[in-house]
Amino acid sequence: MKKKRKEQRELSGIMSRRTLMLGVGQAMLGGVLVARLYDLQISQNASYKRLSDRNQFDQRLVQAPRGRLFDVQGRLLAGNSEIFELLVVPSRVDNLDHLLSYIGQIVTLRPIDIKQAKKTISRQPDFLEVRITSNLSQRELARLAILSPVLEGVSFQKSFRRIYPQGWLTSHLTGYVSPANERDIESNAELRFLPSSRIGRSGIERTLETELRGFSGIERVEVNARGKPVRVLRDKQEQAGKDVTLSVDVSAQFFAAERLRRGISETMPLGHNSVQAALMQNDELRAHISTGDNLVLKDGNGRLVPPESGAIVVMDIHTGDVRVMVSNPGFDPNLFSNPLSVRDWKRLNDHPRTPLLNRVISGLYAPGSTFKMVVIAAALEAGVISTKTRYECTGGFDFGDTTFHCWNKRGHGTIDGVQALEQSCDIYFYQIALKTGIDRIHNMARRLGLGDVTGIGLPGEKPGIIPQRSWKMQSRSTAWTPGETVIAGIGQGFVLTTPLQLAVMTARIANGKYAVTPRLQADDKPVEFAPLEISPAIIRVLRKGMRAVMNGPRGTARKHDVNGAGMAGKTGTVQVKRITKEQREKGIVDNIDRPWKERDHALFVAYAPFDEPRYAMSVIVEHGGSGSSMAAPIAKDIMNYLLKQDTA
Amino acid sequence: MIGVLQFIFRLPWMLLLATLALVFVGASALYSASQGSWAPWAEQHLVRAAMGGIIVSMMTVLPARWIFKWSYLGLLGALCFLLILQFIGVGTGATRWIAIAGFNFQPSEPAKLAVILALARYLSEQTPEQLQEFVTYIPAMALAGVPFALVLIQPDLGTSLMLLAGGLTVIFAAGVPRRFIFGAIVTGLASLPILWAQLYDYQKARVMTFLNPDADQLGAGYQIAQSKIALGSGGLFGKGYLMGSQSQLNYLPEKQTDFVFTMIGEEFGFIGNVTILIIYFIILTSIILIALRCENRFARLSCIGVSMMIFLYMFVNVAMVTGLMPVVGAPLPLISYGGTAMLTVFTGIGIVVNASINSHLEDSDYL
Repeated sequence: MKKKRKEQRELSGIMSRRTLMLGVGQAMLGGVLVARLYDLQISQNASYKRLSDRNQFDQRLVQAPRGRLFDVQGRLLAGNSEIFELLVVPSRVDNLDHLLSYIGQIVTLRPIDIKQAKKTISRQPDFLEVRITSNLSQRELARLAILSPVLEGVSFQKSFRRIYPQGWLTSHLTGYVSPANERDIESNAELRFLPSSRIGRSGIERTLETELRGFSGIERVEVNARGKPVRVLRDKQEQAGKDVTLSVDVSAQFFAAERLRRGISETMPLGHNSVQAALMQNDELRAHISTGDNLVLKDGNGRLVPPESGAIVVMDIHTGDVRVMVSNPGFDPNLFSNPLSVRDWKRLNDHPRTPLLNRVISGLYAPGSTFKMVVIAAALEAGVISTKTRYECTGGFDFGDTTFHCWNKRGHGTIDGVQALEQSCDIYFYQIALKTGIDRIHNMARRLGLGDVTGIGLPGEKPGIIPQRSWKMQSRSTAWTPGETVIAGIGQGFVLTTPLQLAVMTARIANGKYAVTPRLQADDKPVEFAPLEISPAIIRVLRKGMRAVMNGPRGTARKHDVNGAGMAGKTGTVQVKRITKEQREKGIVDNIDRPWKERDHALFVAYAPFDEPRYAMSVIVEHGGSGSSMAAPIAKDIMNYLLKQDTA
Repeated sequence: MIGVLQFIFRLPWMLLLATLALVFVGASALYSASQGSWAPWAEQHLVRAAMGGIIVSMMTVLPARWIFKWSYLGLLGALCFLLILQFIGVGTGATRWIAIAGFNFQPSEPAKLAVILALARYLSEQTPEQLQEFVTYIPAMALAGVPFALVLIQPDLGTSLMLLAGGLTVIFAAGVPRRFIFGAIVTGLASLPILWAQLYDYQKARVMTFLNPDADQLGAGYQIAQSKIALGSGGLFGKGYLMGSQSQLNYLPEKQTDFVFTMIGEEFGFIGNVTILIIYFIILTSIILIALRCENRFARLSCIGVSMMIFLYMFVNVAMVTGLMPVVGAPLPLISYGGTAMLTVFTGIGIVVNASINSHLEDSDYL
């Protein structure tokens, strides 16, 4: 027993000794680690630091060229031009200001470039490359190459700049790109290492950003022991972004844009003395010229004015392909490819006619009389009138204690629906709108494509407003009044639509069978649309009325029919300012004599050829006067151009 | 109430606080590894640490006898997993993981702990006389040898050697006579050439790379070369949090797992690295002090085994990233990203805490 106790005590002693031995062993090996770390991090720090610095030059991301955009004929809308960038790694430079002023003697450095570069440097770790300029010419490149051995921390590389050969003409369609900002970098860390990468900010560039961007590659410069480059290895091949063909036809786009801008005024040569004189005093005119627009017009009163602003959409009524999408004024998207200068940004932002706004999808206008097709279709479908129903127009319509006026003071006499469309009689539509009720008008408008986004695939599309009882209750907390139905009957009051929606409405009427929707990407896939489900008899009335607008004896656009093919259309003239009773008694002032901002909007929707429709169009000229005098002739010329192009 | 307070007071706080410190070092390092983001590693790391905390708490209140009783069963379970691995395992080139409910479970990690506990039980059951006899060590060698062989054929040379070393530590601490130790060393050295012949080509290449890392800068030596550049360029104070160019520019491979120590070294320098080593030193010292305090052999041996396990993880990892050892793929316990190893370490710490609370128990209390 005693022996056993002794043995156990002995064993316990051995175990404790060995435990201590293990502990000491661990401590000694730990000491070896500390010594090793000391050797690496303290003794050899300088040489490893050099290696680490060189590493950053050894490997770099290679920018993939962004996918190009083409029009339907294969003409370039957005492409890439090769540029050379000057890059600096701040951590390898002793005195940055010194270096920059030295480089400034060899190449042209704009103050804004230097400012931008310094801002970037202060924001990110100093081992990352910073782009100083991206506009090196061949000659500058050669000079830098010779000096490169003495320029520590400076390098240059090939890159791409986004170019838009069509400039302002397709600015709202293509949109623009601009350098990545902090938020982009947060969502995609790779962007930090690609100082020349650009992100789509508007238009197709933004919608198709992921497809257009492509995938960057990785390149490694292998260096020998002396740090001299031996060869370049491609670790990963970059993959160019996808090229995209759009449905728009640039030549038609150009014709339409020029036609819209000219309106019905005379163009003036820029060098003319009167233009130069007007520029001295007219701020608005100067704003136009300063954004690169060089068109000046002389209006009916002999005043010098900037080009008309507005929107034009032309779409194929079978496929929904958008052929023309003009929003004027536009802007030069090339300005954004490099950091935009404050001056340019101010010019665009302070411009009185908002050139950055894509009126086609984001401009909201009361449709005016172009809404009358919706109203009559709703009335016929509801059965509150027949095709033969006639009303008498005496020029005024008393409802409650207000009098609603027809645009024609003398009245239209007793007319039927087709004649009411032909002459755009307001009284007729006041009557049938009241009988139909706003909810049924709302329903028909929605089916014809109004009051909701069309899904064309551009950022910033607005739904507009097609009112109904519940909408008024929700948005204004008041009940709908019959008087509001009356005014909605002629497309005013609460009703707001985009030019694109009006083109869709016209396309659906011209198509008759399908609820056509617009698209911008041309592809060969067969298109499938939902059925329109409006009775052919109703469609026939709309078409007959729209045809009569062009060729009826009293049609509001009878002077502007397309010869041969024949066009169907509808004018719209939208008041932007309420006419008071006093003004009405004194006689309404002509549009041309009012300040521009108070003139009526001129609208026109049309399709052609009448028998075999192909194109649907909407034209809006902001404060253009009247639909029949301003918008209809523009539509006629564009339709002529398109149809001639097709037969050629 | 007084009882609870006493219980809490008796917990090895130094050990627990040091453990917690490493977990937070790990989370902030992983935050940096994903270029300043909680996802995907840092948040997962903290979730696992919370699971580890639960394991430690459970082990703390477990009756000490249960650990003793279940130790053989634990080894049996580990062996089963290692066997299953031969048939359904997944992994790049080697079969090391089993996918369980969306997690990649690496059975060789808990096997290390199972071997330690099984040996601790077996040896603590032997009388002092039996410990003097050679025949006593045959079953002991089998307890360590079978799992060693199963891990070796995965093939995972590094882990299998660490597993064996853990087992041998327990046998050594249990009081194996000196004459057997010398015999083992001689046998081991003699069998080295045979073992070398059994190695796979990539394992040989690793050893060769280790012996001459500059020969193949862009191949197998690349990781070590870049790791040394990152550590060396960190200097005394480092380049600053999130500013390590080697790590942030992705020169450093596997910076969230095996090379996390390198990334910390680049961003926090010598000071940062040594601070981490000091925390490990605190943990290991606490465990050894607990081992010395234990009255019973099972708790004592398991503590020594756990301390060796944690030390080996740490030592192999740091020696590897500093170029002192070949790249064998060892995690940095509680800091690097990897669930199985982390939870194994937490379980080991739980066993130590349990031993610390029950240090007054004697061998006879387990029977």
